Amino acid sequence: MLTVSQRQALKTGLRVAIAVFITILFLFPIYWLFMISFKTADEIYSFPPKWYPGQIHFDSYIVLFKDGDAETVWNSFVVAGSSTVIAMFLGTICAYSLARYKTGGEHLANWIISQRMIPPIAVVFPIFLLFVWLKLVDTYLGVILLYTAFNLPYVIWMMRGYIMDIPRALEESALIDGCTRWQVIWKVVFPMSRAGLFATAIFTFVFAWNDFIFALVLTRSEVTTYTVQVTHYFGGQSNFWAKISAMSVLGTVPIFIAVAFMQRYLVRGMSLGAVKG
Amino acid sequence: MRDETERLQAALLFCLLADAKVISLPDTSRADFSERNFKYLLVAPAIFVLLLVGVFPLIYLLLVSFQGITMTETATDFIGGENYAALLDDTRMWESLMHTVIFTVIALPIELVLGLAMAQLFLDKLPGRQVFIALLVLPVVVSPIVSGATWSLMFNHRFGPINQIVEFLTGNDSAILWTINPSLVYPAILAAEIWQWTPFMFLLLLAALANVDKSQLEAAAIDGAGWWRTFFRIVLPAIWPVMAIAVLIRGLDLFRLFDIVWALTKGGPGTMTETISIFTYVKGFQQFETSYTAAVALLVVVLLSIVVMLALKRVQLSR
Amino acid sequence: MKDHSVVLRRPGLRKGLLLSIVTASALALSGAAAAQSAAKTAVEAAKKICAGKTITIVWEAGLQSLDPTQFSGPLWEKETGCKVKVVEVPTAEMFTKIMQEFRAGTGAYDALNVIPAWMPDLVQAGALEQLDSYVDKYKFRDELKGIAPTYRDNQMTVNGKIYGFPDDGDVFVFYYRKDIFARADLKKAFKEKYNYELAPPKTWKQFDEIGSFLTEKLKSEGIYGGSMFREPGYGNFMFQERFRTEGGKFFDSNMKATINSAVGVKVLTEWRAENRFMPPGVEKFGFVENLATFLKGQSAMTMSWPPYGRFAAGYLANEKALDWVPKSVIAGKVGYTLPPGGHPELAAGFALSVASTSKQKEAAYLFIQWLNSEEISTKRVKLPYALRDPFRTSHFKDPEYAKLWPDAKDYLKALQAGADTGLLDLSLIQTDKYEEAIRQGVSRLWAGEDPKKILDDMAKQWDEVTKKVGVEKQKAVYDAWAAKSGAYPK
Repeated sequence: MLTVSQRQALKTGLRVAIAVFITILFLFPIYWLFMISFKTADEIYSFPPKWYPGQIHFDSYIVLFKDGDAETVWNSFVVAGSSTVIAMFLGTICAYSLARYKTGGEHLANWIISQRMIPPIAVVFPIFLLFVWLKLVDTYLGVILLYTAFNLPYVIWMMRGYIMDIPRALEESALIDGCTRWQVIWKVVFPMSRAGLFATAIFTFVFAWNDFIFALVLTRSEVTTYTVQVTHYFGGQSNFWAKISAMSVLGTVPIFIAVAFMQRYLVRGMSLGAVKG
Repeated sequence: MRDETERLQAALLFCLLADAKVISLPDTSRADFSERNFKYLLVAPAIFVLLLVGVFPLIYLLLVSFQGITMTETATDFIGGENYAALLDDTRMWESLMHTVIFTVIALPIELVLGLAMAQLFLDKLPGRQVFIALLVLPVVVSPIVSGATWSLMFNHRFGPINQIVEFLTGNDSAILWTINPSLVYPAILAAEIWQWTPFMFLLLLAALANVDKSQLEAAAIDGAGWWRTFFRIVLPAIWPVMAIAVLIRGLDLFRLFDIVWALTKGGPGTMTETISIFTYVKGFQQFETSYTAAVALLVVVLLSIVVMLALKRVQLSR
Repeated sequence: MKDHSVVLRRPGLRKGLLLSIVTASALALSGAAAAQSAAKTAVEAAKKICAGKTITIVWEAGLQSLDPTQFSGPLWEKETGCKVKVVEVPTAEMFTKIMQEFRAGTGAYDALNVIPAWMPDLVQAGALEQLDSYVDKYKFRDELKGIAPTYRDNQMTVNGKIYGFPDDGDVFVFYYRKDIFARADLKKAFKEKYNYELAPPKTWKQFDEIGSFLTEKLKSEGIYGGSMFREPGYGNFMFQERFRTEGGKFFDSNMKATINSAVGVKVLTEWRAENRFMPPGVEKFGFVENLATFLKGQSAMTMSWPPYGRFAAGYLANEKALDWVPKSVIAGKVGYTLPPGGHPELAAGFALSVASTSKQKEAAYLFIQWLNSEEISTKRVKLPYALRDPFRTSHFKDPEYAKLWPDAKDYLKALQAGADTGLLDLSLIQTDKYEEAIRQGVSRLWAGEDPKKILDDMAKQWDEVTKKVGVEKQKAVYDAWAAKSGAYPK
């Protein structure tokens, strides 16, 4: 029979195998998309389909930078990033209030989540009107404000859940120790919910990042985001696949790096035990 | 145009009044004065932003849904509940609601189970875990429009690999038209959707699982509890708040399904895969049936609110 | 000897002479002004009124936008000092953005690109500025006459008033492989089988016969008899064309939809039957998939907009902006002609307009007059990355254009023939709703549904829309449209 450590190694090996399989499955479309950014037009439309390009060349990327299209990726980052930071902060403290003090009771919490039930397409035009009046059309501030509002319900509800997971006793003991309520939030709640903060932040960013309909209507030419720019490449009489995929690569790689660096907050193995003490 | 601005100003006035109503809720805490201030202080900025951007559109929708604005008609006279009456008769609208429900009801459980399984897989140490997790987030980050277009290309019979793979596996040479064949359109859309959003559930649940009290798990292991029992008795209750909310959020988002369906089938063939968002888009954005779409949107909000309220009542979020 | 000085010394006569000299010079000068090109007029007027200011123009995103961003915009700025800001909008969202900005009264757009089929709706909504007074002020009537009659008489006015300048000669051209059709072995075998000469098809029946024949003979070489773009968006245009060339009428005299007539069923049935000799998966072909198939020599016949012809010839294929076009292996082997039925669809197209909410209407107008003028438009349609197709009579006869590639002369001839015989897109109030019904019908056709059922549903949808718009109202618009020369084949 196998020893304990051998069984352990087998288990780990199995897990790795499954992990690899799942990753391949999920990454295949991304691989296909990435490869397109290196293919020539003939290779993209070749029959039978080519699984890898003949030559890796970075022309598409160079063109994007030269033409200034790559700037839209930066616009998206600025807009999505700022709105994420603001939404995470305002939303988490609001979530704390909801979780610990049940502020506003069920009504407030439900009203907040109901904001996410409205089909964006239906509200895009009234928001456009509002922005015209507030002179926020085609401005960074306007779009950031919108995405913040757009994501607050998500942040609030998610963080409320994560915060409810944290034992109250910790905060109470911190209060007894002399911390002010603000310090409790900073020193206890935020660190304890780090995993949840991170998970929520990623998707808050992603929701703002992926938005098309609001960006389309609320911007014209000053604050073009990457999602809107990409649609410029789909034409009735043209399809700039190389640009589409190169832009997508430009947009995904930084997030990949960010997640890679911060994924340790998500998983077990951190010395959370020390805080719990 | 004149009418729009005036209407906007009237609605903003409404907002200010509504504003007052929302904040003054019964005070349920028995805390002292400063604590009460504190908790309101915490929610105030978020509520302010939400009100600023959220209330006006709703009031606008409400008002406009009782008017008769179309592409050619801009008069703002109230026409009563005509739009709502028309709504009830509109088979296409109800069908699109049904399509949306079908998508939601199929995709959500699959994404939940897959996400949970994946989270469990990556919870404990694993060589290269860092890379795996970062890679697995990528599907969500690709703009849905682009991912829809990519899947469309992949499903393409001549230029895409999927049919190639299928032929390789089954030896069958017929042209499989994923985005045209009525029996294949739903699986195709579901495949693209589940692919894109399972990582969402995966990451959220991973964070939740990571917070499960390790000591409890160790105790259960010592007691000799099997994996399933540990899961149902300890893990599930612990991650329940997060899981329930993740399901809620993902469910609401699935209800707004648009980009992927649009990229793959544009709601076709015919209107077979038309979701309520696509319907609203066509009617509101392309055909400018402003008032009618306002009524539809409000209907959707009401329906969803009822469903969510009912669901929340049955599900206990706090421990 | 008469003393002329006596004449001049008489005050009355002096005045009279002075007057006649002045009048004569004025006449001479105005004559010169009239002879001045519309482009020059626009430039000079613009210099005076908009120097340093910026006008915004909405343009189709992608390849189309290269015209104003790389060529015409900078040139206009150089000549007049007026800056041009191009707002690129994806085609599918153009109508939406224009209407939304109009409805909100933002005045953000000064000049517009509009698809002519939208013009009735936009004019009804009040979004477009009527241009007649400007046209007269800046003497553009003459040059407007130079636009090819089909576009000029059908895509410029609504209710007799000018709302846009047709700026793009979109028309379906039938492309075929000259070399394949010239092969002696194929010709012989075809004549034996069908008893007529192998030549580009004149009817859809011939298309079917030739296509299936060629596929049978050439499949081993990897060539199919034909390929088409089938996606519903394009299918909409092709249905409109084929239905009419087969004798169908959209509405009867009571404004009831008659697309579900026997002609309609014939069109849909035969249309779908053609897929059998086309590359598998053709039902999903869009513009680029079809283009790739044709350019790689994998299909012998196809139908599309003019750019296919330029791309097939490899015209300036090395242009950076065109690197998304698959390399053509068939340069020099392509023939151009009218599609079966002899009346191609003038599918989509573009016209230049001025937004009614613009705060710089005059400046915007001058820009579009300049763009559309003989002098400048001739340059624009020859841009290597241009998607603007020849639309002025002079373009078709332009010797410079004819030199661009060996077969360019034939190409221009085909374009002109298409313009002369072309059929207009259906253009009513709420056109999009009618087109939407067609698009859905086309997608259902490829999904395998019964043609009669599809058409009955389409007709029902059409009747519902007509009812909602108001039968009398829509009938008036339809009658006006049907009266145009390009509405139904003669």
